[in-house]
Amino acid sequence: MLDALRLRLRALFRGSAMDAELDEELRYHLDAETERNITRGMSPKEAALAARRGFGNPTQLKEEARDSWGRSWLERLVADTRYALRSFRRAPGFAVTVVATIALGLGLNTTAFTIFDAYVLRPMAVRDPASLYQITWHDRGDRVRGFSWRDYEDIRNTREALSESFAIRSIFSRIDSLPAYGQLVSGNFFSMLGVGAALGRTLVASDAAEPGTQAVVVLSYDTWRSRFGADSSIIGKMVRVRGQAMEVVGVAARGFGGLGDTPLDFWAPATMNDVLFDGDGAFGPHQTEAFWLIGRLRPELTPSQGSAWMMSWLRAHHSDARGRDVPSDATVQSRATSIALTPEFVIFFTPIATAFVLVLLTACANVANMMLARGLARQRELGIRLSLGAARGRLVGQLLTEAVLLALPAALLGFAISRFTIDGGVRLMFATIPAELGPYMRIVPLAPDGRIFLFMLVAAVTAALLFGLAPALQATRPNIVQATRGDFDTDVRPSRLRNSLIVAQVTTCVLLLVCAGILFRGVGRMQQLEIGIQTHGVVRLDLQERPGVRTRVLQLLHDRADVRTLAAATDPPFGHRFPTVPGGAADGPVQPISYDFVTGSYFGLFGIPIIRGRTFTAQEERVGAAVVIVSDATARALWPGREPVGQVVRLTIDSTSGALAPFRTRREATVIGVAANVVLGTVIDPLDSPVAYYPSSAENADMPVLVRVTGPQGLTARRIDSALAKRVPGSVEDLHTIDDYMYGGIYPFRATYWIAGALGVIALLLTLTGVYGVLSYVVAQRRKELGIRIALGASAEKLVGLVLGQSMRLCAIGLVAGTVLALGVARLFEANIVRLDTYEPAAFAGGALLVMLCCLVASYIPSRRAGKADPMEALRSG
Amino acid sequence: MARKSAKIDLLQGTLDLIVLKLLRAGAANGWQLTQSIQAISHGVLDVNYGSLYPALRRLEARGWVSASWASSENNRRARYYQLTAAGRKQLEAERASWERFSQALGLILQSE
Repeated sequence: MLDALRLRLRALFRGSAMDAELDEELRYHLDAETERNITRGMSPKEAALAARRGFGNPTQLKEEARDSWGRSWLERLVADTRYALRSFRRAPGFAVTVVATIALGLGLNTTAFTIFDAYVLRPMAVRDPASLYQITWHDRGDRVRGFSWRDYEDIRNTREALSESFAIRSIFSRIDSLPAYGQLVSGNFFSMLGVGAALGRTLVASDAAEPGTQAVVVLSYDTWRSRFGADSSIIGKMVRVRGQAMEVVGVAARGFGGLGDTPLDFWAPATMNDVLFDGDGAFGPHQTEAFWLIGRLRPELTPSQGSAWMMSWLRAHHSDARGRDVPSDATVQSRATSIALTPEFVIFFTPIATAFVLVLLTACANVANMMLARGLARQRELGIRLSLGAARGRLVGQLLTEAVLLALPAALLGFAISRFTIDGGVRLMFATIPAELGPYMRIVPLAPDGRIFLFMLVAAVTAALLFGLAPALQATRPNIVQATRGDFDTDVRPSRLRNSLIVAQVTTCVLLLVCAGILFRGVGRMQQLEIGIQTHGVVRLDLQERPGVRTRVLQLLHDRADVRTLAAATDPPFGHRFPTVPGGAADGPVQPISYDFVTGSYFGLFGIPIIRGRTFTAQEERVGAAVVIVSDATARALWPGREPVGQVVRLTIDSTSGALAPFRTRREATVIGVAANVVLGTVIDPLDSPVAYYPSSAENADMPVLVRVTGPQGLTARRIDSALAKRVPGSVEDLHTIDDYMYGGIYPFRATYWIAGALGVIALLLTLTGVYGVLSYVVAQRRKELGIRIALGASAEKLVGLVLGQSMRLCAIGLVAGTVLALGVARLFEANIVRLDTYEPAAFAGGALLVMLCCLVASYIPSRRAGKADPMEALRSG
Repeated sequence: MARKSAKIDLLQGTLDLIVLKLLRAGAANGWQLTQSIQAISHGVLDVNYGSLYPALRRLEARGWVSASWASSENNRRARYYQLTAAGRKQLEAERASWERFSQALGLILQSE
């Protein structure tokens, strides 16, 4: 067998030597035969002729012998490859365009697939991830419910549907003044998942045995590396989590970041819950449902059987529940990957996936058009080869070889593009978000794996078949007589499809670019918008709500020289949208009104003028008096033309916070002042939406503290942060300037125009190749007609104009359609983002002009070819 | 089918068997093989030389024969073919299946 392989390889690489051998052997035979014939009495001439007669066709014989060496298919492949490479060398522009177009489509799809893979397909790096399921349940009030510690222990010990289970609760805190995401876990968490320690130990059962005793923490490998410089002496050191000193006992194994879609920084025993969450009561007499449950479903059970068991357990253990609290259903959700592939997720993801596949299909269609054009240009060559006896299969094979040869480098380039877009995208995201917000971002690793390479290979080969097969089949239609004359049907395929493709591409292009332009201009203006408040120099502090902490921090802030004003509000600007409830004048109609609880100093701090009346007194703050300050717009809306001060506002506030308890029962308050209109929760909200401010003291819990500082705000903020960390460790959960919050609010728009712009540019590139491909095809198809026109006296310019006109007609349709669609989207923008000026003539004109210019450039090259049509050729072949 | 010619065409696939059988007696070159076939079959079998050489190449590719250049009786370089161990096995297998085939054919032809 080895011999046979060696022979084949030798045949492949030393084919000519073997041909020579065969020649010599055959010559020997002829000579020997001739000699024998001579000895039998023939004349030398007759003898030689007779010998040759016995042979038949020596060339055919050689071909047969060669085939029997088994060299042919390999040899054919090599020959096809060589031939294809030669033809690419003759048309490098064509090859480069095809490779770039397909690479773009493949690259984009691979990028999307990489992200999809990381979240949905890649199994968690834990033991037997496939059997892990998260259990949740809903009550009749449609609230998602968790489990108390008692519930968890009961389920863990019965081991009926779940052979093992652990309890978790998410926790956010700052470690060394940087934000950290963690989880409180039951003691069996690490052993059940089979996750070891890279350093020290993981959490064990005894860590979560006695409530509040084991103040220990395990860090994730990545956090240990990035935050603690991979300090090997970290074990035994103390870190502060929510003000509580916790001992680092270990670093989890590399690559483990928990089971969710956000890689975690640390794990602590679940029994520390009441210490870290301010006596939350998960281990008190009335155990709160603080935990989520993840377990291993017994292999013989389906998830629906698991949820049936769960329902029966819930009915038994919540038999005393009444009304809204009665369990209504239990969900058993796979946790094998970050995001489970649920029907809801498929529905959500399908449009996105379709969009990406469409990009690839468009790229393929563009290339198919170019290949068709090329096929027509080579019609004569192919026709001659067909008439010389080349098998059609052989020619199709050869054209497909060409397609694959184009698809493979495209796959490589596409892979590079996808890596570049992923790295660049992540880098761009971190570079463009405000530096202060960077530490809050967590991204799962997006390294390529086997699934991604498989995806690329399949996508590349499919693409090659898509863009290679149709042109190959069409170009080799066995119509020899016509083909050798260079003749072909003019109505080969309906050109309507191709034209609508171009129109669709131009439309998409215009739409995306105009939207990007609108957002670009909008964001630029957003930063200069009149927001009615002076944000610069204001720092927001979110405090840890432990007894005594707030009072001490307020005192320390009060004493600092770099703090000029101190205020507090339940909803500081740019945090999120203000809560909005139905309300109105005591005697008027009901309308939505936003509300906020603030200190009297809030208005002075942000430089919001009090137009009429006065602000709150310290006494009103302390008791939560029944007074209210409304905005100018509110006053005008509720009491048009009347004096607002002294009027009564009625509002239904459903706040659960303890500090705001008085307002749950009392619904009416007297207006004591009118403040100027300001922007509320987000940058995009209008200035004149109604808002009512109620008094509250900075001493009340759940009120972020606001200070106006002197000096550079970022620097002062950091200085305050470290001073507080020293004096009252762990007192500050979060600390940022209001400007950071504002930029954070603008960021999504900035990101959106980046993405819209990038997609617009890609669409533009595809349109370029699309227009180029179609026009090349059309010109190749009409060459004869164009030649006749020249022969009849048409000038080259006129022909160029003819073809250009055809493409510009398509382009114009696309431009109009795109602009109309963009106007529609602009309307949509305006409905949701009130402060965005969407009718941007510059954006519309710029987008349309850019697309039109590109169309002109793309059509110019093929059009010039039309001008060069040879009349002689047309006449000859006619 | 009334053919006057005494010569008959080779059945498909039998050439391989013939070549293997002839080579069993010892190495031979292509021309010698054609001479042997004519001599042994008393000129009945008509071997087209054209099919002999592809057949030899085929056998070589399958590893049943090996080839080497050596000088012939008339002192010229000729390509000599030799049976390999695998070829010997193949010959036995093909001979057995041929015998089964010809027996079966014989039974059918005599059954009238």
